[in-house]
Amino acid sequence: MTAARDEILQALRNNRPTPENHPLPPVATLGDLDASRERFITSLKILGGDVLEPVEGETLDQAILRRHPDAKVICSNVPEAKGTLPVEKVKTPQDAATIDVTVVRSPFGIAEMGSIFLSEAELPINSFAHLGQHIVVLLSVDQLTANMHTAYQERPEFKTANYGVLMSGPSATADIQGVLIRGAQGVRSLSVWFT
Amino acid sequence: MSNKPVNHAKAAEHFLEDAPHLQFHDERLWDMRQKRDAQMHILPEWQELREEASRIKEHTLSRLPEYLEQFETNAKKNGIHVHWARDGAEHNRIVGEILKAHNARNLIKSKSMVTEECDMRPYLAKQGVTVTETDLGERIQQLDDQLPSHIVVPAVHKLTADVAKIFAKDYHTDPNIRDPHLLAEAQRQAARPVILHADAGMTGGNFVVAETGTFVVCTNEGNADLSATVPNLHIATIGIERLVPRMADMGVFIRLLSRSALGSPITQYTTHFRGPQKGGEMHVVLVDNGRSARLGMEDFWTSLKCIRCGACMNTCPVYRRSGGLSYGAVYSGPIGAIIDPTFNERKYSTLPYASTLNGSCTNVCPVKINIHEQLYKWRRVLVQHHEMPFVKREIMHMAGKLMGQPKMYRAAIKATEVSLSTMPRFVLYNWLNPWGKHRENPHPVKQTFNDWYRKNRETAKPAAAPETKK
Repeated sequence: MTAARDEILQALRNNRPTPENHPLPPVATLGDLDASRERFITSLKILGGDVLEPVEGETLDQAILRRHPDAKVICSNVPEAKGTLPVEKVKTPQDAATIDVTVVRSPFGIAEMGSIFLSEAELPINSFAHLGQHIVVLLSVDQLTANMHTAYQERPEFKTANYGVLMSGPSATADIQGVLIRGAQGVRSLSVWFT
Repeated sequence: MSNKPVNHAKAAEHFLEDAPHLQFHDERLWDMRQKRDAQMHILPEWQELREEASRIKEHTLSRLPEYLEQFETNAKKNGIHVHWARDGAEHNRIVGEILKAHNARNLIKSKSMVTEECDMRPYLAKQGVTVTETDLGERIQQLDDQLPSHIVVPAVHKLTADVAKIFAKDYHTDPNIRDPHLLAEAQRQAARPVILHADAGMTGGNFVVAETGTFVVCTNEGNADLSATVPNLHIATIGIERLVPRMADMGVFIRLLSRSALGSPITQYTTHFRGPQKGGEMHVVLVDNGRSARLGMEDFWTSLKCIRCGACMNTCPVYRRSGGLSYGAVYSGPIGAIIDPTFNERKYSTLPYASTLNGSCTNVCPVKINIHEQLYKWRRVLVQHHEMPFVKREIMHMAGKLMGQPKMYRAAIKATEVSLSTMPRFVLYNWLNPWGKHRENPHPVKQTFNDWYRKNRETAKPAAAPETKK
C-alpha cells in the first residue's frame, strides 16, 4: 500500500514542471459584492427555490401547511416550528424517508447563487436534508454573504463541518431530452423562510 | 480489450444516419453552449476568473506531491482512510477489499469518470457486488450497457422514446411514455428502495482541498448526497490531479464550473466532505492511472488542469455531429481527444484528427487549456510514432509531392475545376473521395487565383522590397 503511495509521489516529483515558474496567486475576491435579500431571492428563484412569505398573524407551522397542504409528516429541527413528527424519532439515516416536509435552519446564505448551507450541526442526521419530499429552510437576512469568494473566505463552517452542503434550490435533472425536471432524487422543493 | 485504433469516422457515420437524433444532439449541446455564453456576459470578471483558475491549477500541479501529502495528513486527522492506486486494477482491488471487509453487497454510486476509467463495475459484479448508478443519465447508460457519451450529461444522445424503451424493460413502465417527467419519476421510485437498502455509497470528487482535507462533490440531483449520507460506508474515488491548495480557492472554481458546463450559476448541490458522518466510515482512493506520466509530457501536462465541465464538447462542431460514443473511449470530445492517447497511443490515435482545429474548445475552457494546440501537437507526435491511418498518410504523401511542384499543382487544380463542373455526381462522390462524404465539394470557380494574378499583376512592376528593420 505504501509502495503505491511512494511510487506515485516519486513519479510526480520526477515529472512535474518547475515549481518556481508557477507561483500561487493570492486569494481572489472578484465580482458583485451585493449581499442583499433581493439579490439572494432573485438567484434562488433562478435555481428553482422559492421564498415562503409570511401572511400576517400566521405561525410558521400554518405557513408550512399553506405551502404543503397534503403534507402528513412534518419534522422540524427548529424551535420556531412544531411539526407533526418529533425529531427525536429520526435516529437512523433511513428514518428520514417517511417525512413529507423537513424544517431546518441554515447558518448562512450566498446572495450570488441563492444557496443555503447545511451541515451536521443543523441536521439531526445528514440524510434529513435529502430523503424528505420537501424542505423548508429558516434563514436570517443578516447571515447573507455576497458571493462564492466571500463565502469561502468568511464562513468558518467550510473548515469545521465534516459534512457541509450548499443547496441551491431543489434536486433537479435535465438528463432526459434536455427537459428540466425538479425533484429528481432529493427534495422536490426548497422554500426559504426569512427570520 | 482491443488495441485496434478506434474508427471514429465510421462510428460518426452511423450517428449521422439518424436525422432526428443528430438534430436534437446538435441543438441541445449548442443550447448549453449559448447558456454558458449568457452567464459569461453577466460576469464582467469572467476572463479574470479563467486566468485565476488556470494559474491556481498550474501552481498546484507543479507542487502536487506536497499538496497530496498535505491533503492526506489532514484527511487522516479527520478520520478519513486514504488509499493510493497506481492504476485501475489496483483501484478496483482496494474498493473490493473495503466492501468485503464490511460484507457490503449493494453499492449505490454517484457518477464518477474515474471509476469508468478503471472499469470498476464489471470487476465488482464478479465479486458479487451489485452496483446501482444513482445519477439519472448514468443510470440510463448503465441499463443500456453503454459508456457515458458526455462527461456531464451522460445520456445526451438519447431521446425520450429511447429512455422509455429502456425503462420499460427494467422498470416495467409503459414503453410509450413520452413525458420525461413520468420517466424521471419512475427512476425516483425505482431508486428509493435501492438507496434505503444500500450497504455502501460511492462518489467521485470534483475538487480536493489540501488545506482542510476536504473533497467537494457537485451534482444537480443530490444523488451524491444520498449515496454518501444513507449508507454508513462512503468510498470516494478521486483522480490525483483534482487538488486545490486552499478552501478560499474554491470560490473561483465553483463560480466557473456549472456556468461553463450547463450555463447554470451553480449546481443544485455543492457538498463538502471533510470526515465521516456520525457512526460512519469514509475512504478516499487517490488514483494515478497515467496521470503522473502525463505530468511529464511537456506539451500535454496542462490537460491535467481539466475540471470536467464539458464546455469543449458542447462547442465542438465535430462532437456535436458525431456523438460521444463514436470516440470509443471513456472521455470523448476535444478533451478526450487530447487525454485518451495518453492512456493508449495506438488505440486512440485517430481521435486528435476528429477536430477542425477551429479553437472554439480553447476559447470556452474555464481553466484555459490550449486544447486545439494540443490536438495539433498530438497529430505531429502520432505521425512521428507512425500511428497515422494508412489512407491519410498516403494522401498527405501525395499532397506533399504535388505541392512541391508548382506546374503540376496548377495543372491539377485546373483539372479539378474542370471535373467539378463537368463530371457526373457518381464519379465525384464515391469512396475514393473522403471529402465528398456527408458534404458537398467546393463550387468550381471560373478563374483560379493564379490565372487572375497573371492577367492583372504579373506585368506590373514588382513593388520594391521593404527595408528590413534591425
